[in-house]
Amino acid sequence: MEAEEGKAEFEASEIEYVSYGGEHHLPLIMKLVDQELSEPYSIFTYRYFVYLWPHLSFLAFHKGKCVGTVVCKMGDHRHTFRGYIAMLVVLNPYRGRGIATELVSRSIQVMMESGCEEVTLEAEVTNKGALALYGRLGFIRAKRLFRYYLNGLPSAEAVVSRPEPNYSASGLATGDEAEGLDEGINSVLT
Amino acid sequence: MADKSEAERGEDAKVAISPSIPFGNDTVWADVSSLFRLACNVRPEVTIKGTSIMIVKGGDERDCAIIHIAWIMEISERFSASMFLVSIPSPSFKTHSSTFRNAVTLMFFLITYKTTAKNIHCCNLATDLRTDELISGENFNLFAAMSALEIMDPKMDSGIVSTYYSVDEAIDSGAAPIPLSFDGTVDIQRVIDIMDHLLACEATWHKGGSLAQTVFSCIYLLRPERTSSHALLHSFCRVIRTTCNTVVSAVSDARTNEEEDLFTMAYGLPLKVDGDDKCLSILHAVEETISRQLKACKAPLSKRKVLEDVEPLQTNLDLEEGFCKAVLCRLRFRKHLYHVVTCMRRPQGKGLELAKKHIISCLCELDSMLKSAEFLRDHCACGTLEDGVEDKTTASGCQPIGFDSTLNSRSAAPTPPRAIKLLSWTKAVNYFQKLLHDLDIICSYSLDPVFEGALRFVVDFQKFQPDLVARAYIQLLLVQEGKLYGREPMFAVICRAALLPEGAKNHDVQKNETVGQLGQLLISLLRVLCTNTAWQRRKLGKILQDWRIIYVQSVAGIAGIAGIAGLILWVLELAFRKEFGDITNTSTDQNLCLKICKHILIWVEEQTYWIALRFLVLGFELELYSTSEYCMVYWYIYVILIKLAEKTHLKMMLSNDSSRRKSKKKRDFVKDMGKDYQIPPAVLLLQCYIYIAEGLMMMLASLRNENKIFLCLGPFNTEQERFIQHFELLQKACLPDHASYFSFRETTAHARFSTLSEYNCFKDAQRMAKELRGNFANDPERMAELRRIEQVAEHNCVALNLLCRLGTLEPSLKISFEFIHHPHFAVAAVKRS
Repeated sequence: MEAEEGKAEFEASEIEYVSYGGEHHLPLIMKLVDQELSEPYSIFTYRYFVYLWPHLSFLAFHKGKCVGTVVCKMGDHRHTFRGYIAMLVVLNPYRGRGIATELVSRSIQVMMESGCEEVTLEAEVTNKGALALYGRLGFIRAKRLFRYYLNGLPSAEAVVSRPEPNYSASGLATGDEAEGLDEGINSVLT
Repeated sequence: MADKSEAERGEDAKVAISPSIPFGNDTVWADVSSLFRLACNVRPEVTIKGTSIMIVKGGDERDCAIIHIAWIMEISERFSASMFLVSIPSPSFKTHSSTFRNAVTLMFFLITYKTTAKNIHCCNLATDLRTDELISGENFNLFAAMSALEIMDPKMDSGIVSTYYSVDEAIDSGAAPIPLSFDGTVDIQRVIDIMDHLLACEATWHKGGSLAQTVFSCIYLLRPERTSSHALLHSFCRVIRTTCNTVVSAVSDARTNEEEDLFTMAYGLPLKVDGDDKCLSILHAVEETISRQLKACKAPLSKRKVLEDVEPLQTNLDLEEGFCKAVLCRLRFRKHLYHVVTCMRRPQGKGLELAKKHIISCLCELDSMLKSAEFLRDHCACGTLEDGVEDKTTASGCQPIGFDSTLNSRSAAPTPPRAIKLLSWTKAVNYFQKLLHDLDIICSYSLDPVFEGALRFVVDFQKFQPDLVARAYIQLLLVQEGKLYGREPMFAVICRAALLPEGAKNHDVQKNETVGQLGQLLISLLRVLCTNTAWQRRKLGKILQDWRIIYVQSVAGIAGIAGIAGLILWVLELAFRKEFGDITNTSTDQNLCLKICKHILIWVEEQTYWIALRFLVLGFELELYSTSEYCMVYWYIYVILIKLAEKTHLKMMLSNDSSRRKSKKKRDFVKDMGKDYQIPPAVLLLQCYIYIAEGLMMMLASLRNENKIFLCLGPFNTEQERFIQHFELLQKACLPDHASYFSFRETTAHARFSTLSEYNCFKDAQRMAKELRGNFANDPERMAELRRIEQVAEHNCVALNLLCRLGTLEPSLKISFEFIHHPHFAVAAVKRS
């Protein structure tokens, strides 16, 4: 099944993308995220996202096996309706074939249709693959957050994108952030 | 579920007023719903409603029951609203976690102690809920549930008990014996291992670990009284605690740890112990003894008689010298380090000279410590080492005794524990060498009374990427009691920065509110510049707005009186009238006041552009820009630099103007103006940057226009949107006026290599940088910067020529941008692929 260098052999057309369909998808998402991401999440964290924004979460299947997932949310953030990509995972043997791009693009598409003015996320600075992927989609690296992740990595970057083509400057943040607080931490959901 | 049936009978189960939660190997935690129910019955006055406490029974993946508890602490001012949810495996699973015990303790506290609290919410303890089911309520929803901690999950549960339940239990189990061994040699070997491991812990703490999980993982430190019988260990523990305490207070006072909040968290740790303030005298006595022991063992046989009363450090006389030396350099390092951290806290930089001497001694002792490593490895207590010593936390390579990093985790906040990997001993020594070098730079600083000098000093210092502690000390030096270095009032600093004559600093205008605010802005700017660059950039972006507002406020007042800074004048005039009742004098003072305001306003603008520039260039250091965005970034740097040069020039001209007016007759002055005016070198240096930024911008624009590379593509974000996202803070503050995406497009849309070859900015930059050498001959930092500019210019000049000749002809050319000569100005690398 898997070729040399641990990569899976498959045609892009064999990957099936499914929107979150219910509780039966939850263990699949949890397993993938638990396996691949450094941050610890309880079942309630997953539920928060997939119960409230089921249409923003997608799963990628290859021959019945869940090989990737994206979990998102959206809501008002300082007078801006903002989408947020909380978790994105593709199993290692399936990486580099556009699955993550497709998953994220689908979520962003729904966010745009729902009226999101911008989309944000955080990624570890050392995760060059993820940073490149988001860069290709049009995300900018807006700021670096020092010691943001629990795994002790020194820093992380938050990236912001505004998918709305007719972006209006009136929707900008008003600068009412709490003094001395890390705004990146403030926007964290876990 | 034994507890439940017992509790339901409601006879034997009692709710303790001062709750004591049983724990230990024989305790099995079970469903506690009955206890809560009972608690509610016992205290009918407690209103329990809603869903703050929730208990769910069921089987999880491991096939054992789990319990979730959640509550909101809203009962008094002491407890702000907060949600906590735990999930434990029970009853078949023994819970070895203090999180659960703490949870139950607190819950008992809520129910029994705060009987009058009206807003404790507690749900009916539904026993028929299925696994992982949630109750939703007014104060409890899916979002709140995310703060759940899964007990016994090492990724989440900071209270997990891995070895011991308590420090006392660890001590009872022999985890930290005193003496460390009855064999004198082994005892000293182990003490040295502890000293080394503590150094690794301390460095890891400085690098961002929590004090509880690093330095205070040492059981000997946690029970100060126990070490008193072991003079050496006791003195070492004391100086460690005192040093940590001094460093914690330095960092807390400086508040440079915004994103490193773990650093100062010392709750529940014995950081201040009676007698620790005398640590130096105790340390000194121990050092004396060991010095004598060293002397004794080195003395020739004939002299040994005199020293016979000296008892050796340990039992193996062949190793006496090696161990004495190893211990001595460690003790002396601690002594000098303590002096360094205390001397540097003396007001107005008065201890810097002395601190510098101690820094030299510290570095010297660190060298001795490194030298002692070979001896310690050869004579280590744990036998031959198979693995390398590179990642070991001791010089000997042995695992130290008396440490348990999990013991304190229960005192951490109820958040998931952070993974901490201790630095190796060698890396710890390297860390301290770096720290001491950084501190040495601070101690060598001349306390330049010119604000610009102070700014340059901090910015240059940040290039060495100093860690938190060094950054805290530079900030403590710069800002003390609201004054620069604790001695220069901010108004005097502003006057000097605005190139006003000396007398201006005593002018009453300093009592004006706006001027006071400006002083505050200056202090906060200095503080921000001392923080880590990630946070610094975000904060600089925000304070730009404040600087702009203060400028606009002052200018807005112009319309009122006298043409400039009307508000300030008005306040002043009132004050004068009141005081002297003489209106005729006011006009003279008005002139002086006008002059002060004019100078300050120009300087405020200059400073604002300086901050904007720093904000932009830090984006390179933090790798926030992608190559496709470099063109717009250099365009923005270019326009900001032009404004900065303009304001700096204006400020200098104004100052020259005033001084000339004073020294010369009017007609001479007019004559001079045309004859010998020279642009000041500071402005020319800015002009160099302008050329480089312009050159890079135009080269990138040509590559985009002709080669169709480095374009901002992507399905979701247009170039204009990226422009706004990157520069929104500058745009919001109108820095500069009329700078917009359209002006960027206008400048760059038609750039072509054919035009660039005719007008090569890099050549101008190179020429100017060379010419400027003579002006900065006495300033090594600026000379180095000029050299960097020359290198960038030279490199890009060649690249540009190549691109002009081949660019469009050879589409296979691979072009990339690198920061090999300068952190902010890239050079183009052109390769054939």
